[in-house]
Amino acid sequence: MNKRRFSIIINTTIALAVVACSDAPKSAGAAATPFRVALLTPGPVSDHSWNAGAYEGLLRIRDSLGAAISNIETKTPADFEDNFRQYGAQAYRLVFGHGFEFQDAARRVAPDYPNTDFVTTSGNTTGPNLAGLEFDLANPSYLAGMIAGAMTRTGVIGVIGGTELPPVRKSFVAFEQGARRANPHVRVLTSYIGNWDDVSAGREQALAQIARGADVIFQNADAAGLGVFQAARQSAHVYVFGSNSNQNDVAPDVTLGSVVIDLPHAFLTVAREVKDGTFRGRVISLGMTDDVVSLVLNPAMTSRIPAPVLTTVDSVRAQMLRGAFSAVDTLAPVAP
Amino acid sequence: MAVDPLVAASVRTTVPLLLAAGGELLSERAGILNIGLEGAVIAGALAATLGVGPWGLAGGYAAALCAGAAVGLLMALFVVVVRADQILTGTAATLLAFGVTGAVYRGVYGATGVALTLPTSAPFRIPVLAAIPGVGSALFDQPAVFYLAYLLIPILWWFLYRTQVGLALRAVGESPAAAGAAGIAAGPLRAAAVTVGSALGGLAGGVLVLAQAGTFAEGMSAGRGFIAIAIVVLGRWTPLGIMIGALVFGVATAMQYVVQAMGWPIRYELVLMLPYLLTLLALMFSPRGVAPAMLARSDV
Repeated sequence: MNKRRFSIIINTTIALAVVACSDAPKSAGAAATPFRVALLTPGPVSDHSWNAGAYEGLLRIRDSLGAAISNIETKTPADFEDNFRQYGAQAYRLVFGHGFEFQDAARRVAPDYPNTDFVTTSGNTTGPNLAGLEFDLANPSYLAGMIAGAMTRTGVIGVIGGTELPPVRKSFVAFEQGARRANPHVRVLTSYIGNWDDVSAGREQALAQIARGADVIFQNADAAGLGVFQAARQSAHVYVFGSNSNQNDVAPDVTLGSVVIDLPHAFLTVAREVKDGTFRGRVISLGMTDDVVSLVLNPAMTSRIPAPVLTTVDSVRAQMLRGAFSAVDTLAPVAP
Repeated sequence: MAVDPLVAASVRTTVPLLLAAGGELLSERAGILNIGLEGAVIAGALAATLGVGPWGLAGGYAAALCAGAAVGLLMALFVVVVRADQILTGTAATLLAFGVTGAVYRGVYGATGVALTLPTSAPFRIPVLAAIPGVGSALFDQPAVFYLAYLLIPILWWFLYRTQVGLALRAVGESPAAAGAAGIAAGPLRAAAVTVGSALGGLAGGVLVLAQAGTFAEGMSAGRGFIAIAIVVLGRWTPLGIMIGALVFGVATAMQYVVQAMGWPIRYELVLMLPYLLTLLALMFSPRGVAPAMLARSDV
């Protein structure tokens, strides 16, 4: 009897958890077969960063294309495949797996649901109905690095990531190269938090780097990265660069700028292809020239950046947009 | 390696663990394995976030205590009154807390949240003690709630071993029949232990938000409640033991931060293992202890 009572508790709990973590599919008006789009994120969409941008992309698809949308925050990698299958079985037209880590699950699931197109963000695995959506973070990270290298008073700067995913590492190496261009003797500290949601640990990693002299920190750790801003705020003369979403408003008093991916723009581009029937499985690379990634400086802080530094950054940015220079070319040591 | 940052990071990392582990100790000595502790921590974190606005910092901490206690009451209802399985109830309570905190946070702040900047507790410097070279400022130039955590261990020791109620609580955890024969009502005592214990877990969540992060993120408890449960085992169910256990884990975690910031060419995954590795070693070499006889049993 206790067991039966208990299973009721468990079921209620799971039902509540599901309700809390996902939006029920909403009907898209009177269309007979609504265009349905789903999103799997690796963390909460309230992180002001990677996942928030994806959720805004999903909302943009709903508003611009009249799609019915649904999203799930996956808890563990074991959920990736189940959640993909769930949407495949419901014949969603397009499913985003928002992160490099979704690729294996997507590759396994895609052949079973040929009527659903699968897209993994920052992935490079492809199939007939499977595409990777890759962002060139290297260029804007390089520009941020140039500013960091020029701004550091101590000659020590830091990068803090959630885990060492290849796109994150690539962005950090580009940041380092940019910093070296501005200051050949700069020292770069690298720390990884080990997860993407422990804000206190993010703060501690930053405080440890600050204690070692780091005075400009570039973070890419989603919700955990919020702790990096907090650490900078509590320390004197420490600046932060944010990433993924425009994080300049998170801590306007210490944030020099953000390496922003316009995820809504990118998501809408892909969804439009799927809706029009022009989608092909391939690696879709989007960068600065596509207006999808950019370094967005914090207007409240630009006065702190010396004018010659801004001029140099602008000229390198112009070179990048012309195709005359790419930070990726400076990243020889980074494996794919 | 600089000592000061290491000591300071150790203290900051240990305090939330110590509060949560102290709560778990109370609960386990009464025979309830409170897996819901992780849920109490995240509930406390959100309650502190919501409470600090209207009621200030003290109100935020009070809200965190209350939210933790609410999770504890839920545990008490199912474990003590319904006599459901403790491990399943605790797991359900934690999952429920994660779901509810996420839903409430988004209900209040919108689906993608807002960049919350909450007031955080200013350090309260204790004269003389804070001047001790090396560890003084790390230990005694901290938010007031930290001093409460330091006092928790002596208070728990005094309560468990020097008061009637403490004796009764331990008796209930070992032999409810004997306790019953002595006229002790096991149920209310167990319910109180898990409620107060969870309230301390909630306070740990409040510390994460109001003394450290200055913001809320879903899932920011990041397993601290579960680690606190491990610390109680590591500490062999004694107040002094859990203090040592919390310190082992806290210092090892702080070393992990400092080692990464040294810029040595070590794979970060190996460095991140450090706290867990040291905790396992400590578990191997710590003296034997016996769990309360009624721990995790529902046939009380």
